[in-house]
Amino acid sequence: MEKNHIVELLPEYLDHLLNEAQKKTIETHLKTCNSCSQELNALKALWSAFESEKEISPSEKLKANFFEQIKLEKKNSPKVVSMSSTAFQKNRNWTNFFLKIAASVVLLVGVYFFGKQQQGQISSKEIAQLTNESQAFKQTAMLSLMGNKSASKRIQGVHFIEEFNEPDEAIVRALADRMLNDENTNVRRTAVEVLSEFTSSEIVKNSFIKALKMEKDPGIQITLIQVLGKIQEKKAAASMQYLLEQDDTQPYVKEELELVLPNII
Amino acid sequence: MKSIGITFLALQLCLTLTAQEDYTQSLAGIEWVKVESKAEIILKTHNEKQMRIKGKSTSKIPQKANGLKLVGSGGPDNTDVGFYVVKEGNNLIVRNLRKWNNGSAEIYLPANQNIAVTTNGTGQSDIRIYGFKGEIEANARLNGGIKIENVSGPVTANSLNGGIDISFTAIHQSSPITVYSTNGALDIKLPGNTPANLSLGSVNGEIYTNFELKFPVKDDLKSISVHKVKQAINGGGVSLQLKTTNGNIYLRKE
Repeated sequence: MEKNHIVELLPEYLDHLLNEAQKKTIETHLKTCNSCSQELNALKALWSAFESEKEISPSEKLKANFFEQIKLEKKNSPKVVSMSSTAFQKNRNWTNFFLKIAASVVLLVGVYFFGKQQQGQISSKEIAQLTNESQAFKQTAMLSLMGNKSASKRIQGVHFIEEFNEPDEAIVRALADRMLNDENTNVRRTAVEVLSEFTSSEIVKNSFIKALKMEKDPGIQITLIQVLGKIQEKKAAASMQYLLEQDDTQPYVKEELELVLPNII
Repeated sequence: MKSIGITFLALQLCLTLTAQEDYTQSLAGIEWVKVESKAEIILKTHNEKQMRIKGKSTSKIPQKANGLKLVGSGGPDNTDVGFYVVKEGNNLIVRNLRKWNNGSAEIYLPANQNIAVTTNGTGQSDIRIYGFKGEIEANARLNGGIKIENVSGPVTANSLNGGIDISFTAIHQSSPITVYSTNGALDIKLPGNTPANLSLGSVNGEIYTNFELKFPVKDDLKSISVHKVKQAINGGGVSLQLKTTNGNIYLRKE
């Protein structure tokens, strides 16, 4: 333990930092302890080595370079910073300005179009509603005309179908009813002619086939045969065959049937 | 001189005895007069506000029928002129009970009366209508033809085998005119300035007109060798449809 103490105190001893009592104990210990005196010698050698080491100063050139570098750095760095910062500032101002204008323009245009679209939606809704209303009105007018006592008015009603782009089922059925059941030949014939524009409808096709069996007027019979022949309606073949076999069917109607029937079957 | 006077008186007496009384019927509340006949029927206008059926001395009534009533399939003779007349709602049904060879009759009505006339005769069963301004419906279902003169209202005419001749003094623009026939020819006369949307069609017949329809000229009237013609005249107007299956169509400018 004592030895350890002495070793620890040796640097202070060499630097003359210890008091007289400590100095004496160390000197007495050193005379008896070989290892400690060796340690002391080693320390002394290290100490003298430190002291003998020359202080190296940087060369004049390096010194000049260094300061020039600093000067340059000082000169450049603030300039760069200031330059770039003001330019950026200016840019930002302009960009801000333009952005603001652009934003307000976009907002304005956006609001305008939004309003317009809204308006458009409303007016298209209104138009759709009006169209519906006028469609409903037309439908009522047409049905009421077709129920009139006057054949001429009923024909006017039948022609009303031309006012509809896509007549609904009720209208088509009402027309088919006129074609099958109206007491006036001209009304029935007009209904056949008008309905022949809607042969893609199954209701129309079926009522044509039905009419072919019911109709007694040869003029209407021929119109029906021609329409059904044009669309090559196979389901009509039976009705045509039936009409062909009837004794009271007019000869020119039979001729028309014989002309059309082979094309259908 | 005296004998001549007596002869004249006797003749006068004979005439009054053979001539039948006219039948008259009020038209109050009547919208349509519907005439049905198997024989030729003539409708004329008069200034009275009632219907008058002329009692015809030409109709042969057998001696043996004295004191008996004529009965037809359409009903009993309730007019003494061979007609059955009955009100059905606001229609007045006027049915001629005589057959085609013995039943030619004349009916007088106010000019603005709406009339619907149907004949269904195997022989001479023409419909003749003169001078009406109301709506006219004429349907010659079998062999009769139709002749309509000096009219202006909407006409709906149809015939099977007879021709249809119509001359218009003007054309009401209120509702369509349709004239259709299966085997008969149509001969239609209009004032030249009539605005109308024409629709002419014939399946096997031909169409002739002197209205300006811009087709190649052939003689005086123009022959249009197509089945259908749709064209507006004088700027367009009421729908005027003329259609036949086997007959020709003649559309004349007056």
